[in-house]
Amino acid sequence: MTRENLEKNIVAILVDEFEFENPGLNDNLRDVHGFDSIDAIELLAKIEEMLGFQLSRKEKEQAMSIRTINDILDYIVSMQDAHKTD
Amino acid sequence: MTRRVVITACSAITPIGYKKKDIIKSLREGRSGVKPLRDDGLLTDHIHSKVFGTVDYPIDYGFGRKDTKTMGPVAYYACQVAKDVLAASGLSQDFITSGRLGVSFSSTHGSPTIQRNIYKTFFGNLENGFSSIGAVDYLKSMVHTTAVNITRMFGITGRVIASSTACTTSSQSIGFGYEMVKYGMQDAMICGGADEYDTTTVAVFDNLLACSVDYNDTPECTPRPFDTNRDGLVVGEGGAAVLLEEYESAKARGANIIGEVIGFACNNNGGDLILPNLDGITSTLRLALQDAKCNPEDVDFISAHATATKMGDVIESQAIDQVYGSKPYVAGLKSYMGHTMGTCGAIEMILSLYMMEQGFLAPTLNLETIDERCAMLNHVPEVIETKTRIAAIQNFAFGGVNTCLLVRDV
Repeated sequence: MTRENLEKNIVAILVDEFEFENPGLNDNLRDVHGFDSIDAIELLAKIEEMLGFQLSRKEKEQAMSIRTINDILDYIVSMQDAHKTD
Repeated sequence: MTRRVVITACSAITPIGYKKKDIIKSLREGRSGVKPLRDDGLLTDHIHSKVFGTVDYPIDYGFGRKDTKTMGPVAYYACQVAKDVLAASGLSQDFITSGRLGVSFSSTHGSPTIQRNIYKTFFGNLENGFSSIGAVDYLKSMVHTTAVNITRMFGITGRVIASSTACTTSSQSIGFGYEMVKYGMQDAMICGGADEYDTTTVAVFDNLLACSVDYNDTPECTPRPFDTNRDGLVVGEGGAAVLLEEYESAKARGANIIGEVIGFACNNNGGDLILPNLDGITSTLRLALQDAKCNPEDVDFISAHATATKMGDVIESQAIDQVYGSKPYVAGLKSYMGHTMGTCGAIEMILSLYMMEQGFLAPTLNLETIDERCAMLNHVPEVIETKTRIAAIQNFAFGGVNTCLLVRDV
């Protein structure tokens, strides 16, 4: 999936299911949108569904440093690359 | 030193209405909230009892995802009635978050709907490898989900009590909240209970031959507490909350004082976990009177537990007769809506407060031919216009838990 498509999908998820209003790619997710640890776990499940494979515990822990939508996109791209041979 | 504890707000979502005026209308007009059991696509066809105390009107919750992401259906009921009592109370935001306000609230077993979803997810997705259960399903389904969703929604930082004791859940919630305020551990408590639509509970009572089955085609004719032709309980749903406050501070801030909790008792039968126990129940009723420092003849009205089971109503009648004789009026309010399980004590207290305020007593619905073993009581035969000064709310649960709350008009 291209970064452009990923962005479209992630923003749609954040707006439709996490009730984000006017999300900016570099907004601080917690400060601007009240995104918390529960949301992070829920979003990871959505990302797994989108990617079509399960993330390892270690890979999920890496997501805990995410702060912005751009970070989310970087993370997904890196996961896609890491699982290319799966 | 002990402090007086008053009720300064209440709210109940019940099968006979949500707003006070709707509930009072139902009580005055003898309108039942028992309806045909809704199909759950799983157990309904296997259950003999086809009736349920149903909340079938829309409720405008207005909760955002920030709140609902940790809420199952039971927490919607709980948070809605908690929101109502806080709004009606006029308590300041500073007080609400001060640590001096606590929550005593629970349900029979959290959210069975979410628990069922967990198993569906688990067993349904094993083969494709996506067996992960929703990360917040535990928060939505755990036994104290109602209490902590209330704290979360309103930023409450005081004590949390989540007593989950089946049919005495919310009467214990109120009783323990009363003790928190009475003994100075908290200045105010939001107390109550909730239970959502759930066929598991119906199935359990059905298997115990305790559910009503003879009135499946005429749901409004059951349950029939104290009636010769009663055939068991009807499970129901709902949510109810009361706000308890220390009397002096409530008075000083000009709060609307609805009533006063003057006594509470709770004990256990110390044996059988199902059968009602005359000694245990009688003891509870007497302990509550002692706590309230009042005599049996001071009590004007008894809201009986009265589930309409064959043995339960008889044992309760004997207990009332032993403790009170035939002076106080007695009614079984479950006759209007079935047994709302963890919610029933709070609902029955609120209905009693409404009737105290309005100066009437509603009769036990469907009580047409009084069982001779229950006939020694002073049953409310029809709507009576009368002033109630002190009311007793009695509840008994599986597990041998008995409770009695005494409230007074202020």
